[in-house]
Amino acid sequence: MREAYKKAVDLLIESAREVFEMMVMRQLQNGTPIEGDALRPRSNVVGTVSFAGSESGVVVFYSTTEAAKEIAGAMLGMPAAEVNGEMPDAIGEITNMIAGALRTKMTDSGHSWAISIPTVTIGSDFYTKYVSNVQRILCPFRMDEQEICVELIMMKN
Amino acid sequence: MKFLVVDDSSTMRRILINTLNKLGYQDVVEASNGREGIDRLAVNQVDVIITDWNMPEMTGIEFIRNVRAAEKTTKVPVLMVTTNAAKDDIVEALRAGVTNYVVKPFTPDTMKEKIEAVLAG
Repeated sequence: MREAYKKAVDLLIESAREVFEMMVMRQLQNGTPIEGDALRPRSNVVGTVSFAGSESGVVVFYSTTEAAKEIAGAMLGMPAAEVNGEMPDAIGEITNMIAGALRTKMTDSGHSWAISIPTVTIGSDFYTKYVSNVQRILCPFRMDEQEICVELIMMKN
Repeated sequence: MKFLVVDDSSTMRRILINTLNKLGYQDVVEASNGREGIDRLAVNQVDVIITDWNMPEMTGIEFIRNVRAAEKTTKVPVLMVTTNAAKDDIVEALRAGVTNYVVKPFTPDTMKEKIEAVLAG
């Protein structure tokens, strides 16, 4: 289980970088991953995709509203200032692609996962709680002047 | 040349349409799932279909099977654009009748190449 988790973390970081390079046209700079139940980043936009199969868990994407609009604008070929209603769907798609790329890489390594459709939560006064029997690691990145994070939450068997 | 783009993500539809526009193709109709895609095909003569896999109402695979079963659309080239990239996924899509396959994420150049390959037959 621990081996699958460690592999998934490395592949998650790789997946996030690939998605941003190809679809957002941005290079992400890796930060230091933070393991455990540490305080989650300040973010107003949270995308989640669940997975189940040989392992189960959730892939979570965190950003500020400002960063999310930058991402949506880059994907859609429009200035971030003009992005409005398009943003949630764009972040859902980003989360979907990161989780999908991770799923493919894990499948290629002999694991079998199915992934859910994405959910995007937007707001300023919420927190999410997961069952206690999970391993979780938060991977921060710099995207130009913005910080975004991707988290892997995996059930312990 | 008329395209049909089928994806439940409005963002992905916009990205695909922007790519088609940049390639010089302006005549594009959209659908947000396979069932809507069937409705669009009933009233449009489409030359190429670009479809996602995971969609509500009717999945991309079910949609393609419907496309291949209808005399009007049985020979229309279909490009599938999806995160499902495992070998078994690709085999299933080809068996359903997909002409070519693009894995998300993709670069604009990759999408351009795949569209041109589908058009070249």
